[in-house]
Amino acid sequence: MFSYRSMPDRDSGLYIIRFSLVLLLIGATQLLCSPVFASENRALKILREIDDMWRGESSYALISMKVKTRHYTRTLELEAWSKGKEKSLIRILSPRKEKGTATLKSGNTIYSYLPKTDRTIRLTSGMMSGSWMGSHFTNDDLVKESRLEDDYTPSISFEGRRGGSAIIEFTLIPKPDAPVVWGKLVTVVTADDYLPIIQKYYDEDMVLVREMRFSDVKIISGRRRPTIMRVIPQDKPKEYTELHYRKLEFNVNLSDAFFSLSRLKRY
Amino acid sequence: MNLLVLAARNIVRYRHRTLVTTLAMAFAGAIMILFSTLMVGLLQASERNAVVMNLGDVQVHAQGYREDPDLYNVIRDPEDIVQKIHGSAQESGVRASYRLYGFGLAASGRASSGIQLRAIVPALEAQVTQLHKHVAQGQWLSPEDDYGVVIGRRLAKTLGIGPGDELVFLGQASDGSIANDVFRVRGVLKSVAEGVDRSGVYLLMSTFRQLMAMPQGAHEIAAIRLDRTTPLAAIKQSVLDSAPGYEVMDWKELRPVLANILESAGDQMLFMLIITYTAVATVVLNAMLMSVFERIHEFGVMKALGVTPWQLIRLIYAETFLQVLIASLLALAGGWALSQYFHDNAIDLSQIASGASFAGVAMDPLWRTELTAESFYIPIILQVVIALLAVLYPAIKAAVIQPVKAIYYR
Amino acid sequence: MKLTVIAWRNVWRRKRRTLITGFSIGFGVMLAVTFTGTGDYMYTNMINSSATMGLGHITVAARGYNDTPTLDKRLDGVAELRQTLQSNPSTTQVVIRIMGQAMFASAIKTVGGVFIAVDPAQESENVNEMLKSIIEGKIFTSSSGRGVVVGQRMAERLKLKLGKKLVYTTTDIHGEIVSAIARVSGIYKTGINEVDGHIVLLPLNRVRKILQYGDDEAGLVAVMIRDQRYTDSVQQQLLASVGRPEREVLSWRQTQSDLAGLITIDRSSNYITQLLVGLLIAAGILNTLLMSVLERTREFGIMIAVGMSPATLFRLVMAESFWMALIGLLLGILLTAPWFYYMSTVGIDFSSSIGNEYTASGVLIDPVIKIRLFKESVAVILLAVFTLTMVSGLYPAWRAGRVVPVESIKTI
Repeated sequence: MFSYRSMPDRDSGLYIIRFSLVLLLIGATQLLCSPVFASENRALKILREIDDMWRGESSYALISMKVKTRHYTRTLELEAWSKGKEKSLIRILSPRKEKGTATLKSGNTIYSYLPKTDRTIRLTSGMMSGSWMGSHFTNDDLVKESRLEDDYTPSISFEGRRGGSAIIEFTLIPKPDAPVVWGKLVTVVTADDYLPIIQKYYDEDMVLVREMRFSDVKIISGRRRPTIMRVIPQDKPKEYTELHYRKLEFNVNLSDAFFSLSRLKRY
Repeated sequence: MNLLVLAARNIVRYRHRTLVTTLAMAFAGAIMILFSTLMVGLLQASERNAVVMNLGDVQVHAQGYREDPDLYNVIRDPEDIVQKIHGSAQESGVRASYRLYGFGLAASGRASSGIQLRAIVPALEAQVTQLHKHVAQGQWLSPEDDYGVVIGRRLAKTLGIGPGDELVFLGQASDGSIANDVFRVRGVLKSVAEGVDRSGVYLLMSTFRQLMAMPQGAHEIAAIRLDRTTPLAAIKQSVLDSAPGYEVMDWKELRPVLANILESAGDQMLFMLIITYTAVATVVLNAMLMSVFERIHEFGVMKALGVTPWQLIRLIYAETFLQVLIASLLALAGGWALSQYFHDNAIDLSQIASGASFAGVAMDPLWRTELTAESFYIPIILQVVIALLAVLYPAIKAAVIQPVKAIYYR
Repeated sequence: MKLTVIAWRNVWRRKRRTLITGFSIGFGVMLAVTFTGTGDYMYTNMINSSATMGLGHITVAARGYNDTPTLDKRLDGVAELRQTLQSNPSTTQVVIRIMGQAMFASAIKTVGGVFIAVDPAQESENVNEMLKSIIEGKIFTSSSGRGVVVGQRMAERLKLKLGKKLVYTTTDIHGEIVSAIARVSGIYKTGINEVDGHIVLLPLNRVRKILQYGDDEAGLVAVMIRDQRYTDSVQQQLLASVGRPEREVLSWRQTQSDLAGLITIDRSSNYITQLLVGLLIAAGILNTLLMSVLERTREFGIMIAVGMSPATLFRLVMAESFWMALIGLLLGILLTAPWFYYMSTVGIDFSSSIGNEYTASGVLIDPVIKIRLFKESVAVILLAVFTLTMVSGLYPAWRAGRVVPVESIKTI
C-alpha cells in the first residue's frame, strides 16, 4: 500500500520546479514590511512602516536571474506579476529553450506550465523541495516567504553604527507553531531609509546556513531600492543565485482572471 | 568362481527382493535428484534475477557515486571502457553496457510520482541483461522510438498507466535548465527489483542525453560473463584493467545481503540434503538389513562349507554394489526425466502469488529445475556411500556369526 | 486370538527391521515438524511484524485507499467504528491512524517519507514496531501536540536530535499543500533502512487539523487480531459488522501483497519438499512391509490352506501397518521432542551467514530460526504420517491376500 521509496529523498535537484525568486524577493521585502498586529513593539512598527512604503496592491517586475554552481552558470530573464500576497505568475522570457515556462501561484496551489510539452502540472507536496530553475531556492522558500509575518516574532537586536553606516538589525524568531526550518533570521537595514542590506538564515543550532545580500541601490518606481539580491548557501560559498531587478512597477492594473490556468499558456 | 558373477546370480535368484530394494533406492535417488535440481533452479533464478535482470556480474562507477548518486559524478569515457572490456574479453567472454541515471517527477493525468530515469543503449544492454525479455505488457525499447519508455510494474499502478499512455517527465537537466518531455509508455516490466518496480523508467540513451543535457559520460557500466562458469574474480580483474581509477565491484559486493542469503541457501540446501538423506539412509539400511539377515541361514551354511568371513563380506558388498549400480542408473534416468520435465514445464507460482521479493530482489514466479552436473552426481554419490555404509553392519554380522547359530537363526 | 494381537507379535518378530522402519517414520515426523515448525514460526513472525508497521492484520479504510492511498480518502465515524471492531472477541487492539506521504525538512535538507498519525493513548508497543524500537526519548504524550517520532536514519540525514524541529509538508483533503512543524520527541531504530529512513509518527489530532479532517475522521483503522491464522474468518466477521459501500475491510494479504506472495511461494516450496520426503519414506515403508509379506509367503499359504480368508490376511497385514505406524509415531515423538525443545527455545542462529539485515518483502527477518508449531499442524503431521504408513501397507496387504496356498507352501 505504501512505498517508502516512492518519494524523492535526494538533497536537492530532484524536483526542480522551484517557484520563482521573484516571489522570494517580494516575500523578502514583505518580511521587512510585514503588516503588523496591534503591538507597541518598535520593531513591528518600523517593519510596518517599511511595508507601507514597499507594498503595492499589485506589481510587475522584469528580472534577470543568474545562477552559479560548481557545474553550471546560467542566466534567465523572467517576467513576474503579483497581486496581493496570494497570487503571482512568473514566466521565463529567455533562454529560448525554456521560454514560456510559467508558474502560477494562487493561494496555496502552484501550477507549472511547460510549453515544450504543452502540459500544466500541479505541484504536489513532494515537489516542494528542490531547486527552482537550478537556483538555490526551493518552492518551499517561496510559499513560506510570503507568510513571514505570520511565522516570526521580530525584535530589534542592534541599532547603531556598524561598518561605518547607521543600521538597524532585526532578529526574527519563528513562532512555536510556524512551519519553518530555521532557528532564526537576522535582517539588517539602513537606519535612515530602511533599505535592506543583508538577511541571514540560521539553523536551530544557530549556525549560519545561508545569506541573502542586497546591493546596487537605484531609484525604481520613484524610490531608492536595492536592485540586486544574491543568495549564498554557506556550505557552498562559491555558489550563488543572483536576482537583478531590471524593472519594478507597483499598483499595475491586474484582474483576478489574469492569474488563472488559462493565462498560463499564453505566449 | 568370479565374485561378481556369483553376486549377480544371487541377486537374480532373489529377484523379488532385489527388485523391491533396488526400486526403493532408485526412487529415493530420483527424488533426490529432482529435489537438488529444484533447489539449484531456485538459487539460480534468484541469482539470475539479481544479476541478469539488473546488476550484471561486475559494475563500474565513478568513485563515490554509489554513496551519493550525483548526476555530475560520471564515468567520463564509457564507450572506450566498454570497447576495452569487449576487446580484452575476446578470450574471457565478457559483455558490457553503460547506463545513465537521473531523478525527476513523472506525471500522468492527476497522478504523479518520483521516478528514476534509467537510460540504456538497447543493443548493448541486450547483451548484458535480460530486461528486454521481461516485459509484461507492450514492448521493450526500440532504437527507432525516441520517446518510448518502459516502466516498472508498481510505477505503472501508481500512475494508473499502461502501454500507449502518456507520461510527462519533469526534472532538472545538468545545465540547471528544466528538463521536461512527453513520453509514451511502450511497455510495463514484470517484477525486476524493488527499485525498478517502484520508480524505474527505462529510456534510450540518446533521448536521455538530450533531455538532461548530458552529451557524454555514464553513471554505471555493467559487465556480465557469457560463460557462467568463468570465475567472478577473473572478470572483475579484466574489467578493473579496462577501467583504471574507477570503482569496480562485483555483484556480491554490491548486494552483500543477497550474496549472503544465496550462499547460506547453499548451506541450507546441503543441510536439507543431509536430513533428507538420513531418511533415505533408513530406507536403504532397512533394505540391506533385510536382504542380508533373511539369508543369514544361507550364509551360515556357506561358512560351514569353509567360506571365510572376508569372502562373505566381499560377496555381500559385491551384491550391494550391483544393486546400487542398477539403482543409480535407474535413479539417474528417472531423476533426469523428472528434472527435465520440470525444466520444460516450470511450476507457475504466479497463480498463487502475484509478486514476492526478498532482499530487494523480485522472485521469479516461474519455478523450473536446473540440470547441473552437481545436482546429479552428489545425490548418487551420497546414495552409494550410504548404501555401502548401511550394509556394513549386516555384512559384518553375517561374517562373524557362528555357522551353527546361523543355520538355526530365525 | 485377535488379529491385532497377532499383528503386534508379527511386527516384533523382526525387531531390528521394525525399529529401523519405525525410525524412518520417526524421521519423517521430525522432518515435517522442522519444516512446518520453521514455517509456522517465520510466517507468524513476519505477518505479525508487518502488521505492526501501520496497517494491522486487518485494515478498515475508505474504498479505493488500498489502490491509491491519497489523503482525501478518509473514513468517518471512526470512534464508533473502533468500538464496534473492539467488541469483536477476536480482535486484540484497534487503533485509529492516518497514513500518508509527506516531505520532511530540517534546515539541512529535505527528504520524502511516510507519516503515520497516531493517538498515543491508543498505541502500544504491541501494535507499533516503531514504538517498540524507540532508542532515544519517547512517544509524544499529546495527540494534538507538536511531537514527532522519527527513524534513526532520517534523524541522521536531517541532523535531528531530540527536541529539534522538523517541518513536514503534505497535501490536505482539498489538494492544498500544507506544512507544519513538529519537535522530535523520540527516535527509533528498527534496523530496516527503508523504515528507519522513511516512516515518521505524528500526533493524530494535530494531523487531523492540518489535513482538515473532521474530529471523527481518519485514514484507516488498523486491527490487530489474536491469531493471524484466523485473519480471513475475522475479516469476514468484521466485514459483516462494519462493512459499508464506502468502506473496505482488507486483510494483510491485500495490503501487503508482496509479503503474502513471498509466504505463499515459500510455503509451497516447503510443501513440495515435504511431499518428496514423504514419498521417500513411504517407499521405505512399502519396501519393508512388502518384504515381510514376501518372505512369509509360505506362512500365509499355510494360513490360507487352514481356512483363513484372503480378506483376513489383508486385514492382518493392515493391522501390522497400523502397529508400525504407531511405533513410528512414538519413535518420531521421542526423536523430535528434544530437537523441538531445543529449536523452540534456542533455535539456530544464522546471523553469521546471512547477517542481521535480511529483509524479505519489507519485513526484517530474525536471523535466529526457531520452531513454532500450531496445534493444528501437529495434528496434520501425525495424521499425515499415519495415513502415509497405512497407504504404504495397502499393496503388501493386497499381495498377502493373493497368495496361492499350494504354490506358496512349496517355496522355501
